[in-house]
Amino acid sequence: MNNTALSNEDESFWDDDARILCDVEKVASVRLSAVANSIDQDGYYPADIMGELGQAGAFLPHLKAYGERFDAAINNMSAISRHCGSTGFITWCQDVCGLYMELSGNPALVNRMTDHATGITFGGTALSNPMKAFTNIEAMALKASKVEGGYVVSGTLPWVSHIADGQCCGAIAAIDNTDGSRSHEVMFMLDINEEVKLTKCPEFSGMEGTSTWALNLNEYFVSDAQIIADPARPFIKKIRGAFILLQTGWAMGVTQASIDACREVEVSLGHVNQFLHNRPDELEAELKDLHARIMQLAKNPYDTSKEHMLDVLDTRAQCSELSLKASQSALLHQGARGYLMKSKPQRLIREAHFVGIVTPAIKHLRWEMAKLMSEG
Amino acid sequence: MTHSTEPWRLFICRACGLIYDEAEGDPDSGLAPGTRFEDIPVDWECPLCGVTKTDFEPFERPQISAAPQTVAFSKKPGIVVIGAGLAGWSVIEALRKDDADIPITLLSACKGDRYHKPELSVAMSRGVSAEQLVRESAEDAGRRLRVKLITNAFAVGLNTARHELRTTRGTIEYTHLVLAQGSKPYLPKQLAADTCWHVNHLKSWGGLEKTLRAGPQRVAIIGAGMIGCELAEDLNKAGHHVSLINRDAHPLLALLPPLAASCLVDSMVQQGIEHHANAHIAGLEKAASGESYIVLEDGSKLAYDQLIAATGLQTDNRLAKQAGLAFDNGIAVNARSLQTSEKNIYALGDCISIDGVACRFIEPIAHQARSIASSILCGDQQSYEHVDPVIRLKTRAMPIVLRGIPKPVGIWKTVTQNEQQLVMEQYVEGEKMAVLTMGLSSGSEAA
Repeated sequence: MNNTALSNEDESFWDDDARILCDVEKVASVRLSAVANSIDQDGYYPADIMGELGQAGAFLPHLKAYGERFDAAINNMSAISRHCGSTGFITWCQDVCGLYMELSGNPALVNRMTDHATGITFGGTALSNPMKAFTNIEAMALKASKVEGGYVVSGTLPWVSHIADGQCCGAIAAIDNTDGSRSHEVMFMLDINEEVKLTKCPEFSGMEGTSTWALNLNEYFVSDAQIIADPARPFIKKIRGAFILLQTGWAMGVTQASIDACREVEVSLGHVNQFLHNRPDELEAELKDLHARIMQLAKNPYDTSKEHMLDVLDTRAQCSELSLKASQSALLHQGARGYLMKSKPQRLIREAHFVGIVTPAIKHLRWEMAKLMSEG
Repeated sequence: MTHSTEPWRLFICRACGLIYDEAEGDPDSGLAPGTRFEDIPVDWECPLCGVTKTDFEPFERPQISAAPQTVAFSKKPGIVVIGAGLAGWSVIEALRKDDADIPITLLSACKGDRYHKPELSVAMSRGVSAEQLVRESAEDAGRRLRVKLITNAFAVGLNTARHELRTTRGTIEYTHLVLAQGSKPYLPKQLAADTCWHVNHLKSWGGLEKTLRAGPQRVAIIGAGMIGCELAEDLNKAGHHVSLINRDAHPLLALLPPLAASCLVDSMVQQGIEHHANAHIAGLEKAASGESYIVLEDGSKLAYDQLIAATGLQTDNRLAKQAGLAFDNGIAVNARSLQTSEKNIYALGDCISIDGVACRFIEPIAHQARSIASSILCGDQQSYEHVDPVIRLKTRAMPIVLRGIPKPVGIWKTVTQNEQQLVMEQYVEGEKMAVLTMGLSSGSEAA
């Protein structure tokens, strides 16, 4: 493990989960709350705040070098998402990109991890397509061919988040045999440089500040220093559960924010809101159950057993369902003021929709659970 | 150009999933209806995400496996039954008989068609197909019994406090839940699921039947329990060369005394079935020639074309574990009410255990179904009475009927033994535990 950059610091500095969470909460509540709408609607990419969150230790507890505390990473992500779902989402992108670096075992990538983990550099993940391709939902979008010293890769991915010039993202490309059959897939760190064409995506309903681009590669050269895993499948099998489980932090934050929004109007509207269903106490009870289940799963993030995967997939699906239900309830609780374009419930509903449709979407999760269950 | 007569094709954008239909073209971008994919100019862009035609690939419409709607949509939670085997459908029949209106939802991992499972171990020699064994399609039964069908779907989570069942087709609420999920084949570690057939459900049986239809083959059956023995005779009769691989000295070791077991073996051997006693599997092997072998622990090898596992059953404990239901060799139920450790959740059939003992026979199911219906609809929590079922082995050359369950410590006595019949009784401390009848004259009883 590469711990060199930390060797000058107090070794125990990053061990205190409660202190990290407290610092992360402070940055999120002070800095993010003020700009959450601008991030969601105007496309403000909060790189500056992400840097502060990184310095507070938001993106590192799940890494082996920092103790592999997935529960702490999930709770940090949840605290961030409670104030801004978009930033919560790019926190997840940053977290999994850190995992790729560390678990690649490739010294060139492992050496980049400390800067990444502390928010000095940023990177995302372009695995939506291959994750779906590996469970037969769609075909692989990037194709690679072997060349001297690496691969060349071509193809287009429609939307990849938390990337920009000088940043990076984990990606997977398929290598085909000369007869057209699939040989294997290679996973690599795609460094965004002048060789990579980023195209503005059509306007989304929300989450505009996630720096999401269509990404086009034309004979992009991947050097050995960029290889995360070759072949990619065993690596993906290993990290798949952790990859999905981490997202729950983001979804729980959006849910918690929705519960907060219901409660914000309790003093003025409680006398009529008592007639609503999905009241904050009820939502909170479900969130508490779900959180306990997630914390349990977070103890064994790399368990690849069928039982564990089913639990991870099911909790992730429940996260989506609950955030949708809670954000809808937030709007109903706030009534007319929640219907204002710039209101918090409006943003929460857009965020929850994204929780429900981003890979793995509710439908993908159920598809995959059905597939796992039918495998006997 | 031949392509003017070819059917219109579809192409999907790998980037965003937009489908280009040659029949419709893309008039907004100047592609008239009927524009073949080859004729699209290279600078054409995907109307949704802007990639070019090189990012498109041929597309075939995927199959959708959802069940057709059999009843009007209703938000009202009702009784949810998991499992569309004999047990699940029996409980639905029993519920509908007494209540025409109560909403019922059936969740099934398969299509849910109704068939009589015991037939699976004797149907091959009758030359029928899986389709012919279906007595009523799930759709017809769903309409007749007014049941909402959720098929090709799995239960993945259960929250008893909120009365919510999480499934791969969404979360459903229930007032009462009936678990009739059956059991699944238990496979020893030497047998991976993709190396062998089993006949635990119609779909798998159907796959085997189709494969065996090609002509006489060498079939190895692992396990000489009831299913293994019945299947051996059935496949032999259907013209295949059958080897029965038995880890024990005798078939049906737990049920038959050695004298009766050897009569059964004699009968099998006379028919041409090979019985390999004390045969422990070390592993499977595939030779360079493509020939498959079972390798036994003594080093001997046995070539086969098809391998069938009849090595017993086990109940999946996932849902029970997740919901905190008592589980003891099966979902533990109260012997009088068939209620699980959770109020409003009942279970019946192959998935249950009573006092730690699983009971995987057909006979009690109808009775269990009626008891659960009366418990749910009338609150009668005492209506089930568990009795050991009469066990009938459908080996037609040597039918066996066993009344009572033999105990390992019991002493067997021969009552009648002649060329037509063998009757034996088992006693434990002077008390008669079981009566065994085998041979031609019991044929009329062994239906």
